[in-house]
Amino acid sequence: MTRYLVRRLVTFVLVVFVISVGAFYLIHLLPGDPAAVILGTGDSPANRTKLYAQLGLNKPIYEQYVVWIKNVLHGNLGTSFISETSVWGTIRAAIPIDLEIMFISQILAFAAAVPLAMRSARRPDGWLDRVLSAGSFTLLSIPSFIAIVLLVLFVAIDLGVPHTGVSSYVSLTSDWVVNLESLALPSIVLAVGSFVVYFRVLRSDLIATLQEEFITMARSKGLSQRRILWRHALRPSSVSVLGAAGVNIGGLLAGGFIVQYLLDIPGLGYTLIQAIGLSDYLVVQGIVLVVSVGVVLINFFFDMVINLVDPRIRRE
Amino acid sequence: MSDSSPLLEVTDLCTTFTTPTGPVAAVSGVSFTLNHDETLGIVGESGSGKTVLSRTVMGLQPRRNVVVTGSSRLNGVELVGASEAEKRRVWGLEVAMIFQDPMTSLNPVMRIGKQIDEILRVRRGLSRSAARDRAIELLELVGIPSPTQRYREYPGALSGGMRQRVVIAAALAGSPQLLMADEPTTGLDVTIQAQILNLLDDLRARLRMSVVLVTHDLGVVATRTSRLVVMYAGRVVEVGSTRDLFARHRMPYTRALLEGSPRLSNPAHTRLVTIPGRPPNLAQLPAGCSFAPRCAYATAQCHVERPELQPADGLGHYFACWNPLPTPTGVS
Ligand SMILES: Nc1ncnc2c1ncn2[C@@H]1O[C@H](COP(=O)(O)OP(=O)(O)O)[C@@H](O)[C@H]1O
Ligand code: SF4
Ligand SMILES: [Mg+2]
Repeated sequence: MTRYLVRRLVTFVLVVFVISVGAFYLIHLLPGDPAAVILGTGDSPANRTKLYAQLGLNKPIYEQYVVWIKNVLHGNLGTSFISETSVWGTIRAAIPIDLEIMFISQILAFAAAVPLAMRSARRPDGWLDRVLSAGSFTLLSIPSFIAIVLLVLFVAIDLGVPHTGVSSYVSLTSDWVVNLESLALPSIVLAVGSFVVYFRVLRSDLIATLQEEFITMARSKGLSQRRILWRHALRPSSVSVLGAAGVNIGGLLAGGFIVQYLLDIPGLGYTLIQAIGLSDYLVVQGIVLVVSVGVVLINFFFDMVINLVDPRIRRE
Repeated sequence: MSDSSPLLEVTDLCTTFTTPTGPVAAVSGVSFTLNHDETLGIVGESGSGKTVLSRTVMGLQPRRNVVVTGSSRLNGVELVGASEAEKRRVWGLEVAMIFQDPMTSLNPVMRIGKQIDEILRVRRGLSRSAARDRAIELLELVGIPSPTQRYREYPGALSGGMRQRVVIAAALAGSPQLLMADEPTTGLDVTIQAQILNLLDDLRARLRMSVVLVTHDLGVVATRTSRLVVMYAGRVVEVGSTRDLFARHRMPYTRALLEGSPRLSNPAHTRLVTIPGRPPNLAQLPAGCSFAPRCAYATAQCHVERPELQPADGLGHYFACWNPLPTPTGVS
């Protein structure tokens, strides 16, 4: 286990290093003088002097990276010359929204997928399984940006659920009711997409597991169907679904961007799209870095969970 | 339950699988009884229906695409047609099963201890610590060294022989009166096989259980069973005391089994070299004796008319054959 952990950690550090180089180099990939790119509308001789000092732009590029990464490691992503605010501050304000949407949507998705997959797997090709499989297949084919429009049109407006909202958004700590209301829609949209994936993956793994001899052995002990499903079948069937969750959540961040943009929810996606619009490339760079590291972290996290769940993997 | 009534009474048991290509009669009209403290062997070639029979006897056949008729009564309780809930009451506590392959019959992601003490906690209502103590006792009983450490390990950490001991411990946890052992040593090394079989023997005597020992290997049952049921193509073709069957078998197939009795070293399910031909297709059984296509003694009658079991003596020895082998001279 420790050897595996060390190996995973080394990979993790390497991947994060590559990401940081990529994010750093982003500015230099854009056409034109990096200083002009970064300063954008804030291009003035005074700002130029400040930026050269901040980024060491007159030094060779690898030294620039060292200067930049040192700052990043100290939580300093620079100051936007367009909004005149700290980049990290802007990002930090948006992160809780993404985390919350992600968290709620995943809880909803798993809460629906696990019991329904069990019901389906108990009688594969039974009527319930057919309905669920057909239903999930239909849902799978609806992209999130269509789903959100449909939900707004047919559900949110009728129920009076807020469906637009930079102005109406409040944080969880200041008023959780309003907060949850405003995040309900994006969470549900992302939950539906995740549910479909988890349901399908878990269902097929459960069906395979239920054929195993150790399930017959569990039956022969006189254990209830319920216990067999939850205690004996779920865990050995959950490796793929956890792996799918790791990948899916990364993908959801991107899907979430569109949803945030459509619903005016000031999360990372919304902030990113705005920053692109304003050519605020320090913010873009910061978000790319944070999101990429976030995706890697999530994958790392799910890898660890899979490891705890399935001791067979640890031995490999 | 008084000791005079049989522990297990199987009458005309049939298990038929519904498959896309038609019905498969895996078990047909099997009857036998098993008394308390008795060990019964079920022997037959691979594919003769032993596994299906032993599972159907306790009601553990697959739940779908299968039709079971006849009767299997354990302590007088009918298990054929019983609901899953009724069978669950019996499973684990009155009858337990040891499966053929300990590599697949243990849950790979559940700690060994939990797989043993689960039944004690769920079925017997023992406290966590009492169940744990009992599980460690059981691990010790089946000869697993350092049971306290093993209790916390996953099956993957153990060898095949050790895993089968764990399976046995799990089966014993509910203190069943009847242990169904389906080829409990087929997947194991020769030396380990003998150890496990001796362990089973020893436990049976100590715990006063009855055992149904299923095997394709007559060498396994020779000294360990009092009676044998010989199966071919889903049917009982000869039954009697182990001594009678070894000394005075009447069915050519039983003889072929005896002559081809594989050494303990043979890998699982090697086809017996001495029986030429292959086992019949259960979906299209021949009209007469199922063994006729492979039988050196077959006559025209064998191909058209199926022989029923008939008594060989008055002592519980029956065989199904039109041209039974002569009994050795000097014996009835
Ligand atoms: N679920 C099933 N569906 C269809 N046929 C089956 C099923 N299970 C077992 N059989 C058939 O029943 C026959 C007997 O199998 P089995 O009891 O495993 O034999 P043995 O244990 O004596 O080797 C085999 O021919 C097998 O193909
Ligand atoms: S009935 Fe005929 S075919 Fe069948 S075992 Fe006896 S002699 Fe052979
Ligand atoms: Mg078998």
